[in-house]
Amino acid sequence: MQTLTQDSSNWKGSQIIGFRLAFVYFFLQAFPLDWKYYKHLASINWLHLNFRDLFNISKYTPQFISGQYQESDWGLATFADWGLVFIIAIAGTILWTLIDKKTRNYDKLYYWLRVLIRYRLAIAVIGYGFLKLFAIQAPYPSLSSLNTPYGDFSSWKLFSLSLGIVPGYQSFLGAVELLAGLLLLNRRTTVIGATIIIFFTGNVFMSNLAYEGGETVYSFYLVTLALFLVLYDLERIINLIILHKPAKPTVHPINLKKQEQTGRIVLKSIFIFVFVLLNGFSVYKSSLNGGYHFSHQPGLKSLQGLYTVTDFKFNGQTLPYSLTDPIRWQNVVFEKWASLSIKVNKNYQLINHPVESIPDKEADGTFEQDGTVGRQYYAYKADTSNQNLFIKPIATNEKGSNLHYSLQADSTVLLTGVIDGNQIEARLQKNPKKYLLKATSSGRRGSLKL
Amino acid sequence: MSAELNQAPLQWKPYQKVAFRIAFIFFIIMTIPESPQWYTQVFSFDWTSLHYRDLYDIARFQPSFSRSPGYYGYYEWLIILVIAIIGGVIWSLIDSKRKEYNVLYYWLTVIIRYRAAIGIIGFAFTKVLPVQMPYPSTGILNTNFGDLTAQKIYWLSISIVPWYQVFAGIVELSAGVLLLFRKTATLGAIILFGALGDIVYVNFAYDGGVHVYSSYFVLFAAFLIAKELPKIYTLFIKEQYTVPVNFNLHFKERWLNITRYTLKFVVIFLFLFVFFYIQLNNFLYDPYKQPAAKGVSKLRGYYQVSEFRINNQLIPGSPQDSVRWQDVTFENWTTLTYKQNKAVPLDLSNGGGSPMRDINRTFEIAGVGGGRRVFYYEADTVNQILYLLDKYRAADGNSSRQSKKTAKPKISYNNFLTEEQEYHQVDPAGLTGRRLKGIKTERLRESERKRMVLNYATTDGKKVTLKGINDEKDSIYIVLDRVDKVYALKPSTLNAGKYQ
Repeated sequence: MQTLTQDSSNWKGSQIIGFRLAFVYFFLQAFPLDWKYYKHLASINWLHLNFRDLFNISKYTPQFISGQYQESDWGLATFADWGLVFIIAIAGTILWTLIDKKTRNYDKLYYWLRVLIRYRLAIAVIGYGFLKLFAIQAPYPSLSSLNTPYGDFSSWKLFSLSLGIVPGYQSFLGAVELLAGLLLLNRRTTVIGATIIIFFTGNVFMSNLAYEGGETVYSFYLVTLALFLVLYDLERIINLIILHKPAKPTVHPINLKKQEQTGRIVLKSIFIFVFVLLNGFSVYKSSLNGGYHFSHQPGLKSLQGLYTVTDFKFNGQTLPYSLTDPIRWQNVVFEKWASLSIKVNKNYQLINHPVESIPDKEADGTFEQDGTVGRQYYAYKADTSNQNLFIKPIATNEKGSNLHYSLQADSTVLLTGVIDGNQIEARLQKNPKKYLLKATSSGRRGSLKL
Repeated sequence: MSAELNQAPLQWKPYQKVAFRIAFIFFIIMTIPESPQWYTQVFSFDWTSLHYRDLYDIARFQPSFSRSPGYYGYYEWLIILVIAIIGGVIWSLIDSKRKEYNVLYYWLTVIIRYRAAIGIIGFAFTKVLPVQMPYPSTGILNTNFGDLTAQKIYWLSISIVPWYQVFAGIVELSAGVLLLFRKTATLGAIILFGALGDIVYVNFAYDGGVHVYSSYFVLFAAFLIAKELPKIYTLFIKEQYTVPVNFNLHFKERWLNITRYTLKFVVIFLFLFVFFYIQLNNFLYDPYKQPAAKGVSKLRGYYQVSEFRINNQLIPGSPQDSVRWQDVTFENWTTLTYKQNKAVPLDLSNGGGSPMRDINRTFEIAGVGGGRRVFYYEADTVNQILYLLDKYRAADGNSSRQSKKTAKPKISYNNFLTEEQEYHQVDPAGLTGRRLKGIKTERLRESERKRMVLNYATTDGKKVTLKGINDEKDSIYIVLDRVDKVYALKPSTLNAGKYQ
């Protein structure tokens, strides 16, 4: 790579071949050639563009083999897709080398390839950066989560919950990611932005491996793009910082004409307007509405809270309180939004969905019960005039059930109804529980009894 | 001694000289241990049987003459800065004719590099061989998320992914190693800056309490990176030909060279090789945040209480009852926990430090609420008796300063086992000099704790009955049924300690 970074007109043969391979490979990885992508673009309402659309646009990676593409979401590639891209790149390089024997250097093409990679990478990290900056990627734990034992979460869920309790830190991480993305938009600061991404997204990659997150391949993909960008300056960096030798600056191979210069500025402005301003504003608006993980339907204020189930009748038969009974309810949580969860000692299927996806407004997200067991989660619709709750298990096609609720004189709540053909009667007593997490939120000085 | 003077400026600008004098005084005070104990401790170590904490304590120091929590804990830094400014001004008046400080700047850089390297290596090894954040105990696995402090939640979030903890340790370790060599020092400083900068923020966000010490390294890293920034700016932002300022000392005298290489060799040998070895020993036999002695193997597990009698009165199952036990666990080590619907005073510390007695290793109770009670036990397996002591202690009795002042007469009945018996509980390989000595001194420092004496009976651990006197001196009779709970959280694939 020695002369690659210099303004020589003649590259070595190995450099020419190496570049061709890199060009085909990274071009295929970064530039959307998949017709589905354009179909996806066409399906977007461009007049009401929101961060969800932009987030999905930004996630493009070629998926020749895995084909996880869905209408609502651009899927994720696997390493098999990379392998295919690499094979195509080798074939392309051979073909290219056979056809083209004249070209002496690719200074200009290298520059344009770097432009493509810079912007491809920028879109991705800016998208994620905003989700963290406004602290909606990992929301504060739901009341149900606060009342779930530590061991009843999968590791990626614990990662999300642990980040969720510190929105300030999440914003800091987002700011770093966003800064790195913005630095990529300028040629001269690219090397700094790409270096930050290698560390930052490199850590995201390691976290995905460790916590069994779903974005191992994708985060590594972003790291390879950043590595490719830094490679251009690697020799200079080593000379300057490690060998302490004089270093030559890069020579800019492109001289744009005045018209072209204007075009460049217009395109760049549009890019910044859409992916930075519009995107940032859209995420900010979503954060004001509580983000995208929980239902936006408000719950019943009078019910919100944690309840102990003091009496429980199943088909008319009273079941005593038990932590082991697979039928007997132990406690019930009513969230701020319209969902509730019941702690019963059933056999739960752990559903992991460890990929960042932003659900449609209409479709309810399943985040509440993703990666956790021990509680049965329901979304509900309340009919306050008849004191009815229509409850439906989250993320299933099961039919809903009707429960009647009534506030009793002794301030307990009586729930009655039929679930799965069984007559249920449950008396709920509010538990005025204080949470250690909240009690120590302003520090751990002094003593505390809880 | 000669210097490579080719590019070093022979004439510094006045503001550079003043800034350097202040920085020099500031950083020298920051890097020199002020406590006499730091110097005398090396004589108290058993160098034939080192404990990881011995080297750790050499590596870990920071200005702590006031220990004031003021200015977010940065009070000492401010005082030192004031001293440095005053000193720098006086120095400027005395030494006004001086043209440059190239040699002194070189030495200051060396001191900071080594201080930062040794410090971060000391930190790194507890992660490389993951003992800093131990995988949650069964008691914690059955504690609700909301019943933990933020600090605990962060520590646990690393503890559940031990290989990630190893990775984080390797990152810190490589920063430290790179700092030991002139050429790679900047790279090391950049890694240190990134990694520890994040840790500073983590400590502020999660109230982790280690923000000042981690900032200490960020400051050093920033100092080392600072001189590279103008070069990076010229080369990449201004896109100009850049000649690095290069000032290195080369010793001509043989003895100086020998001294240099000997010192470097000692640092590398002691803080990389010896440290790795003793940390490995700690990981295998004596993970410092977990009790080291094995728990009674038949009893280990998670239990539901199927029958509970107090003073012969049967108490039915109810989550609101403040007497009845729920959710009983016997850990791999000598700990029994249970839940009660009763407010108890909580240990809000990080559960760290360097306690040598198992009973004082409190990671499993620190920052854990939800009514969980945690008892250390000593088992008489012949007569099937558990002697239990509450792991919670009101005052922080571990702090050596405090207990010296308030040394009370020893309460001997608090220890069921003799000193010799307590030594025998630990694997001989983990019984280092520091542990032997520590067990002795901590025994003398014991204060009153809540206690229970329970007879246990079981055939295979599936059903366990406990009978005896509880901490309130009531007689209790409990029947426990083991629950073979499968957790959503996967078990650790890298376990510290020897409990089999």
